[in-house]
Amino acid sequence: MCGIIGYVGDADETLSILLDGLSNLEYRGYDSAGVAVGGEGLRVEKRAGQLDTLESALADASFAGPVGIAHTRWSTHGPPTDANAHPHTDETGQVAVVHNGIVENYRELRDELEADGVTFASETDTEVVPHLIARELRAGRDPEAAVRAATERLAGSYALAVVVAGTDAIFAVRHDSPLVLGVGEGESFVASDVPAFLERTRDVVYLDDDEFVRLDDSGWTVTDADGAVVEKDVRTVEWEAEQTGKSGYAHYMLKEIHEQPVSLRQCLSGRVDELDGRITVEELDDLGDPETVQFVACGTSYHAALYGAQLLRAAGVSSNAYYAHEYATAPAPVSGDDLVVGVTQSGETADTLSALREASRRGAETLALTNVVGSTAARESDHVLYIRAGPEIGVAATKTFSSQLVGLNLLTARLTDRGVERRRDLVDDLRGVPNAVQAVLDESEAAAVVDEYVDADAFFFLGRGLDYPVALEGALKFKEITYEHAEGFAAGELKHGPLALVTQDTPVFAVVTGDGDAARKTIGNVKEVEARDAPVVVVTDGVAEAGRYADHVLEVPEAGRRLAPLLANVQLQLVAYHMAARLDREIDKPRNLAKSVTVE
Amino acid sequence: MRLDSAVVLAAGEGTRLRPLTKHRPKPLLPAANRPILAYVLDALIDAGVDDLHLVVGYQRDRVQDHVGPTYRGRTVTYHVQEKQLGTGHAVLQARDAIDADFLVVNGDEVVTAAMVEAVMDAHSTTDAATLGVVESDRAAEYGAVRLDGDRIVELVERPDDDTYRLLNAGIYACGPSLLADIESTTRRAGELHLTDAIAEQLRDGNAVRGVRIEGLWSTATYPWDLLTVARDLLAAGHVDEPERSRGVYVDETANVHGDATLQAPVVVGPDAVVGPGAVVGPDSALGRNVTVESGAVVEGSVLDIDTRIGANATVVDAVTGQGVTVGPGGAIPGGEADVRVGTTIHENRRLGCIAADRATIGGGATVAPGSLVGPDASVAAGAYASGVLPEGAEVRR
Repeated sequence: MCGIIGYVGDADETLSILLDGLSNLEYRGYDSAGVAVGGEGLRVEKRAGQLDTLESALADASFAGPVGIAHTRWSTHGPPTDANAHPHTDETGQVAVVHNGIVENYRELRDELEADGVTFASETDTEVVPHLIARELRAGRDPEAAVRAATERLAGSYALAVVVAGTDAIFAVRHDSPLVLGVGEGESFVASDVPAFLERTRDVVYLDDDEFVRLDDSGWTVTDADGAVVEKDVRTVEWEAEQTGKSGYAHYMLKEIHEQPVSLRQCLSGRVDELDGRITVEELDDLGDPETVQFVACGTSYHAALYGAQLLRAAGVSSNAYYAHEYATAPAPVSGDDLVVGVTQSGETADTLSALREASRRGAETLALTNVVGSTAARESDHVLYIRAGPEIGVAATKTFSSQLVGLNLLTARLTDRGVERRRDLVDDLRGVPNAVQAVLDESEAAAVVDEYVDADAFFFLGRGLDYPVALEGALKFKEITYEHAEGFAAGELKHGPLALVTQDTPVFAVVTGDGDAARKTIGNVKEVEARDAPVVVVTDGVAEAGRYADHVLEVPEAGRRLAPLLANVQLQLVAYHMAARLDREIDKPRNLAKSVTVE
Repeated sequence: MRLDSAVVLAAGEGTRLRPLTKHRPKPLLPAANRPILAYVLDALIDAGVDDLHLVVGYQRDRVQDHVGPTYRGRTVTYHVQEKQLGTGHAVLQARDAIDADFLVVNGDEVVTAAMVEAVMDAHSTTDAATLGVVESDRAAEYGAVRLDGDRIVELVERPDDDTYRLLNAGIYACGPSLLADIESTTRRAGELHLTDAIAEQLRDGNAVRGVRIEGLWSTATYPWDLLTVARDLLAAGHVDEPERSRGVYVDETANVHGDATLQAPVVVGPDAVVGPGAVVGPDSALGRNVTVESGAVVEGSVLDIDTRIGANATVVDAVTGQGVTVGPGGAIPGGEADVRVGTTIHENRRLGCIAADRATIGGGATVAPGSLVGPDASVAAGAYASGVLPEGAEVRR
């Protein structure tokens, strides 16, 4: 999703710091980029395409000045072109604006401005903002008042950073779109995400909705919508800037797949007590005893949510998972006795935030299951459970999904623990997971298996019970990074329709763990697709001897009913990765996709 | 002189350490409860070296996963040696990143910061290279060195001659021109060795400085040497975990039951668990997330990550790889035995057993002294195993 970085400090360093910031934000996905450097005058350069296109455009220009803003754009209104790239300016080039989010009333604002004689240079919603500010400046307001007055006119979601020629300051404001300050020595930053400036400072201030900030050479001041000064805590983030390197791997995704034993250990550390057989999640000490639990999430997190809901149902708690975007407009009945859990890696997913807000408005308790400390979801929810996976840069979520599954086991244990029950089996299973994942990584034959199916027409993924969310996630990962057609189905649904798609050119990946009813029935479905001559790859812990019906078997160690699906998913991560590598795809930045989707 | 950059050699398997090296190279084998490589990187950083270059090859994923993009905040650059064609060839992989005098350090030998500093201090730009040398009565088993004052006059790999008293500690300070010299060095059996390049410098009459260094230098040639490495490190208190009582080092996140006994010297790693009535130590190291259940006895052993020792099991003089399981009441009684490695028999080694990654020793099973249990091999409950068990082998009752 779009990225913002703004800098106030050393005039000679402004441009290079902004470009470093943009490159640190690349992982969010983008299709154009631009910078504006201010001070005496205001210079803007912007280009469609990758960052190096912008950099070569800047090569022969001298860009110095004590303030600057920059942006990576992921198109929503208007295609990726030089004109549509940010920063956007007013007609005189005195005001430059970068924006994340969507201005919902931009059509009417644009009509109004055009009626005033303003000429627009782009097709974006953002461009109304600099023109509104310019109008306020012409009306005699000072730059700060002008920015405030202009933002009052906006409906929708926005994080804005603004520079005005002749003023050595950045003005920034947020509404339903993330924005953080970085506090350095003699310099300060504003960005959509911490990694943008993490090389320069780890001291950050998270802005809340409708807070306004002014950054200048004397520091930073946060004010509320009425202009009253707000005291903000400066927090120190623990992530290392360089934790975002690839450590010798060709792609972040493969690095992150391999990090899973470590990230799962972090997730479990101090939370499972082998001697006592207990599971403790400190953050959840004051969590009540809800009647029902509703999960809201999108994408990979939604698959984790499906898994979590099933765990809770199996433990006797009424629970369901909903797409957050559907829930926000068509919520399920909810009351004060219910818990609504938002599963979001970034904690900034706009759809999930809306769903959580809707649930909270209707009186439910809310909980965020997230990876990012201090994220909007973490701050706005009544409770938060951190999955501690560390930064994830690859757009395709891998290690965070595994940590979400473990986090959901912890949550389930917490919600179903009546204080007397020991959970030694679960504790043993959980402590064994990092080692089992390591075994999959050491011994996977996924690369060799995918080699045989490079020319297939489509790829289907089947599973039942807890293996069903894994089938969905396996297909999602596969389509995200290979661009090949892939679908996940509940195994039992196959013969109610999808079986019509199955041919000898559509490999079927069947996830079969344990030897319960679900496994036996899935094996029945495997035989159905075999009878249609489809190649079958079974991902299994071997308990049900499903391998005998398959052309290939991807094995995982036995790890217990709850956690075997996590291991099967690691195999499917490797399947997707190796196929995408074989097809030479942009694995870390798949086309059209963004890491954290901060617009609805 | 101060040197900023170091090339750390971490590409080699260490074939004599099989079966422990099935899934990882020798630098990642445990020295007490951390990888050998961690000691090397710590020594470099503590000596002020900030630019770290790791040459990786065999099972390089594991090195990259463990070290990551940075180590203690210093950027780590990886150089891949696709085929392991000798230490000289390994150094050349990092050639493009080097433009001044630099260090080369073996990634599979435990060294200290003081040793690295001593080599840097002795080195000057007029030296073709400077080598750290350590006095040892086992010099003939490693690279042996003869000194004349502060000049190296002879450098031989594993000479069959026990008159050598100095060994090459694997810490080299090198001038940038050495890279070109390595390239022009004659290959032996297709391999290009750093020590051959230095020996050629000696023959050409170039100055190669040797500096005697003292302190803890320890490495493993054979799997059972890991027990000695752990003993050396524990005796010197050279472990990361806080000292709870004299010689007892326990990580803050470890969970040791009040009724368990830790006998010094011993180290218990992060998230490790020791149950009631268990006795761990002396000379034992528990890696991350290791579990020793109630009533079990662990003595003179190195247990790597995720190993689980069942209730009332006995484990003496053993080295386990990652994720090894010993069932309840299982016995590795320890003692002296003849150990077979490849075609060589090592007589009267003190060794309980070597159990490679994810080997399983069932409840009540017994493993004879000197056994080598391969990766994923299993010994059934109540069975008796001895000798060499290949990968995935099953011993039934």
